[in-house]
Amino acid sequence: MTCREAGPLLHARLDNELDMAGSASIDLHLSECHECFAQYTTLENLHKEIVAADLAYAPGMALDRKLAAQFLKEKKSRSRFWSWNWLSASVMAAAAIGVVVLTLAVPVLRIGRDTDAIATEILDNHLRSLQAVHQVDVPSSDQHSVKPWFQGKTSFSPPVPDLSGHDFILIGGRLEVIHQQPAAAIVYRRRQHVIDLYVSPSGGADFRAELRDLDGYHLLHWMQDNMSYWAVSDVDPSELRTFADLIRAR
Amino acid sequence: MDTKVRFFELTMWPHMRAAYNLARWLVRNDQDAEDIVQESFLKAFKAQASFRGSEAKTWMLSIVRNTAMDFRRRDKSGVGVPLGDDGYEPKDDSPDPERVLLDQSRREQVRQAISHLETEFREVIVLREIEGLSYKEIASVLEIPMGTVMSRLSRARNLLLVELGGPKEVQHDLP
Repeated sequence: MTCREAGPLLHARLDNELDMAGSASIDLHLSECHECFAQYTTLENLHKEIVAADLAYAPGMALDRKLAAQFLKEKKSRSRFWSWNWLSASVMAAAAIGVVVLTLAVPVLRIGRDTDAIATEILDNHLRSLQAVHQVDVPSSDQHSVKPWFQGKTSFSPPVPDLSGHDFILIGGRLEVIHQQPAAAIVYRRRQHVIDLYVSPSGGADFRAELRDLDGYHLLHWMQDNMSYWAVSDVDPSELRTFADLIRAR
Repeated sequence: MDTKVRFFELTMWPHMRAAYNLARWLVRNDQDAEDIVQESFLKAFKAQASFRGSEAKTWMLSIVRNTAMDFRRRDKSGVGVPLGDDGYEPKDDSPDPERVLLDQSRREQVRQAISHLETEFREVIVLREIEGLSYKEIASVLEIPMGTVMSRLSRARNLLLVELGGPKEVQHDLP
């Protein structure tokens, strides 16, 4: 290969656009030609310098909001929200606030946003616990072991009903912090599916369970007697509903 | 879920940052870039029937690029637009090159150098070095042959080297 032939290929080599044979022949030339090697190094340094300078312009939140308002106004479901990066999540949160206000006509903006953030946090926590070596701090299928375990660790007493007659097997419990608040996580099993029930004290009016679908998981959230409940699992939504109804009726 | 919303979420939204970045580099102005992204998203949304599942990113960027070009043409023919080296006076450019070199960090120097490139060279640098697109993807976005991508990139880099005052222009430049 001559220097004249090598010239145009320096860029293609730098950009990983050559096949193996092409790379090999230009590399051979670079090892033999001091001048071409110096030129290649110059180009490589330029490339590194541009990459290191991190010159991408990031859009402001205003654009996020504009686009969300423009394209998500017919949005009814908030699924798929969570698989994205924080930026899109925040956009969707902005859109979701609108949906929440419209559909429930209840909450103040802040509550809608918090609820979405909590849903994400709950799912993340659930997924982490599934991967953890032990899913529970107190492993027990006995409600009379699990319930007392929370005493002294929490200022509230979570419900730990025995639902084995309905094929929801108690596995145990653990203490979590959700949204900077201590929460009791009660763990049940339905066949091979794990159901985490998060319970924490929270002000606000009672409301019946709302279903959310995030990344293939289902979350049911309701308020009862100044306690906030989140049930999360990959079990069939109708079974999760049954589970929630049983807890509510305990 | 609504299929249109789904299309937005899966096909368009993931490329919003890249779309904005390209638009921002092409028009060198934040407000115009935002308008271009909005207009591009609207075009893409309307044209979703014609999207055949090719690469979503190059499809989106191609729309953004064409929208930016239309935008600039429109603006040039308008009144009261200050003209810079290629029709736009970049808002963030210092008028005095010496001052730029002395006062600004190296990062700013690189930014300025790219900003000063003519559009056809600037866009290949942005797509290749900042967005990390392959030659094939760049060819698809710009609707030019791959050979042209290579020659423009080569020329653009040599211009940058000169502008940045580094070693002299690489000799082996494509014709």
